Amino acid sequence: MEPIKKTILTTCLLVLTHISLSAQSYKLPDYTTFKLSNGLTVYLMEQHDVPVISASAILPAGAIYDNEKAGLASLTATALKHGTKNFTKTKLDEELDFIGADVNTYATKEYAGLSSNFAAKDKVKVLAIIKDLLLNPFFDSAEFNKEKSRLLVMLEQQKESPRSVIGSYFDAFLYGNHPYGNVISGINSTVSKLTVEDLKNFYKTNYKPDNSAISIVGDFNTKDMKAELTSLFSTWEKSTKEKENPATKAISIPTENRVLLVNKNDAKETTFYIGAPGISRNNPDFVAIEVVNTLFGGRFTSMLNDELRVNSGLTYGASSRFSTLKNGGSFVISTFTANKTTEAAIDKALEVMTKLHANGLNEKSLASAKNYVKGQFPPRYETAGQLSGLMTQMFWYNFDKSFIDNFEKNVDGLDLVKANQIIAKYFPKDKFQFIMVGQSAEIKKIAEKYGKVTEVDIKDEQKKAL
Amino acid sequence: MKKIILPLFLMLALTGQAQMKADDVKTFTLKNGMKFLVVEDFSIPNANMYLFYKVGSRNEYQGITGLSHFFEHMMFNGAKKYGPKLFDQTMEFNGGANNAYTTENVTVYTDWFPASASEIIFDMEADRIASLSIDPKMVESERGVVLSERRTGLENSPWRLLSQSVQATAFQEHPYHWPVIGYEDDMKNWTQQDLERYFKTYYAPNNCVVVVSGAIKVDQVKRFAEKYLEPIPAQLAPPLVHIVEPAQTGERRITVKKEVATPYLMIAYHTPESKNEDYYALNILSSVLSSGQSSRLYSALVDKQQLATQIQTDFGDSFDPNLFNFYAVANKDVNETDLENAIYAEIEKIKTNGISETELQKIKNQKLMEFYSQVETINGKSNNIGTYEVFFGDYKKMFNAPANYNKITVADVQNVAKKYFVKSNRTVGILKTNVEN
Repeated sequence: MEPIKKTILTTCLLVLTHISLSAQSYKLPDYTTFKLSNGLTVYLMEQHDVPVISASAILPAGAIYDNEKAGLASLTATALKHGTKNFTKTKLDEELDFIGADVNTYATKEYAGLSSNFAAKDKVKVLAIIKDLLLNPFFDSAEFNKEKSRLLVMLEQQKESPRSVIGSYFDAFLYGNHPYGNVISGINSTVSKLTVEDLKNFYKTNYKPDNSAISIVGDFNTKDMKAELTSLFSTWEKSTKEKENPATKAISIPTENRVLLVNKNDAKETTFYIGAPGISRNNPDFVAIEVVNTLFGGRFTSMLNDELRVNSGLTYGASSRFSTLKNGGSFVISTFTANKTTEAAIDKALEVMTKLHANGLNEKSLASAKNYVKGQFPPRYETAGQLSGLMTQMFWYNFDKSFIDNFEKNVDGLDLVKANQIIAKYFPKDKFQFIMVGQSAEIKKIAEKYGKVTEVDIKDEQKKAL
Repeated sequence: MKKIILPLFLMLALTGQAQMKADDVKTFTLKNGMKFLVVEDFSIPNANMYLFYKVGSRNEYQGITGLSHFFEHMMFNGAKKYGPKLFDQTMEFNGGANNAYTTENVTVYTDWFPASASEIIFDMEADRIASLSIDPKMVESERGVVLSERRTGLENSPWRLLSQSVQATAFQEHPYHWPVIGYEDDMKNWTQQDLERYFKTYYAPNNCVVVVSGAIKVDQVKRFAEKYLEPIPAQLAPPLVHIVEPAQTGERRITVKKEVATPYLMIAYHTPESKNEDYYALNILSSVLSSGQSSRLYSALVDKQQLATQIQTDFGDSFDPNLFNFYAVANKDVNETDLENAIYAEIEKIKTNGISETELQKIKNQKLMEFYSQVETINGKSNNIGTYEVFFGDYKKMFNAPANYNKITVADVQNVAKKYFVKSNRTVGILKTNVEN
């Protein structure tokens, strides 16, 4: 037996080496997808290198459905683990911890999610628990009260870290009354009013199979897993009416520069975003924008980091990114600097943006960015957890394996003319939305230089639609 | 994780033979003493190189604190062939990315790249190890960068301030006394000579372990290593860190003022270095106390008694005896003294009654899952193989770790709790808004 295995191994490695040297193209491994009769979409991908399995689920139950009850989606997702028909919370924690399994439930802006990692030998047990969490949560009121009071303290504690809160200030400032401005973790006044009944109602309305998906990747047999999931999840009742998406309503576009100054009395540095509207996930230029942003603020040698960190030592790091959702998105430049260098850093960041528009890219820098995004692409889909997450994202944002399989080709297809068009079309030139978290006494005058200033205190409750 | 793209490979995988074993790590040592550990893994067309230099803040002294970390930054600022900015620019042009980290014990450089770019990575690493050029202009701008790094750490987490205060109190003589980032005044005063001496002393091939994992053959790694890295001369072994922290002979307490919603609490007990025989039992003890919501501390203090909003313990890897730390954040209107006493009550339970067989088995199961996640990626492989080689003296210990944890008994865990969790051996730190009463 031994020699045969060796031969196989050698042959494989030689072939693989050859492939990796001639073209580094990365393809998504084969997977199976199907729909249960209740509409639940399932993805299965076998991976046998490590005896573990990862599962992900995605459901239309994110913070955009909170309405006035900010924090509801997030608390509901957390409370799935407060006990089910078949397990008390204590029992659940003990069972999962004992076998070293993780099951996390959470809400994002648009969706609720579950992610899990467990040993292949424990699949029957863990899948039954996952089913119970999604189909039969109990919403125990004693557990809810504890969770809520912890959350209220945590909302206060977050204010100790500008980096933890600047994102939600920005979303509320940019999106205003649109549901994308909702604060995922909630705010004191809304969370303190939430009841366990609110959670039950939210669950009933939003945790349905027909707009949801589950994906399983790892060490299992597809045929058996298909039978197992069909039997576990077929009893899940689908929605009785068509689900509305509150986020499809129009997002208003800023008409001028505006500054939200968040005073933090003991701040030694200013943490700031310079932002603007961005793109939705299904934008046809998604990949091209990623390449251009890599050059502008997406890697160590990017224009922003080079200017603000390497050349001037103003900060430990400066970056930019596009955050994409189904119906819209945002762009931000993000960095921080000492109180006394606040103006220098903001001016420098704006100057880099001006340069991007004025000078565009050149062949060499574009080639570098293309090599970089291609080179860093495969490790993004290396683990079972990454792959199962990817497949629920494919479901949610409605893209398929061609995104992965054609990624290199799409990157290669970006030429200089198109790249410069991308800059003009998607990178903001004006009407910037600034968030500055820092010591108002030292930086308010500076803030006024950049636009109309709204000032709040970090200790005050965050308001929507500033 | 391997990608199955060939039928032959699929067959192989299904037989379960693709799992990683100690034999999959190949090693060789260059004539200048630089040791290589290599893992071939063709699952993705990428590879990495992790360089572990045995230098960290424990090799510093007061006056140059933070220099190891600063030096880590300077390693990216230009050498003979790849001048200022060219290290990063060249690496990124070739599809690679990099980072580095510094601890009390080691400085680790990490390169992640398409396997086809391997040769230039060797060339660049060799260039900066052989002939780094320390440009005074770069020193000045980089000083601003690390000052910002220090500031943003303090700005965004109360733990930073509290833990450096606790460390400074628990260690009175040993260099674990100061923070890795350094003292602000030292940071403003490092000199060119300090940097040059540091480079010569510690950045020698014989003071470095290199790990390469990914889609590259061992023979190829060896050829590149011999071509680019072997010509770099070995240096005298760096001076030993001779200070041994004297045994603590009474509880120490420290209070720190910072505006926070509720008090932050740390309790630190002196515990031995990674190579000590008590390592595995202490590691299990840490998991029993705080791993998962069924753990002793979470279930008692966060869930049942609601005294804390967060609780964690940490027992890390180190060359010299270090600390077993408890971290807790008080719940609203909870007096931090009550929280502190509740932690002691849980510790006493373990000292008196031990842990259960079920608890022990739970942690052993968790350790196995942890091992799987460590070998699931090429980066996990390199980082963990290197860490075991450097801290435990042998990378094979990583593969023995599940077995070593399995050997631990409930009595072993109770014994280390009794041995180390004693009042005279602890330092307690409290960070809160009002420190006047």
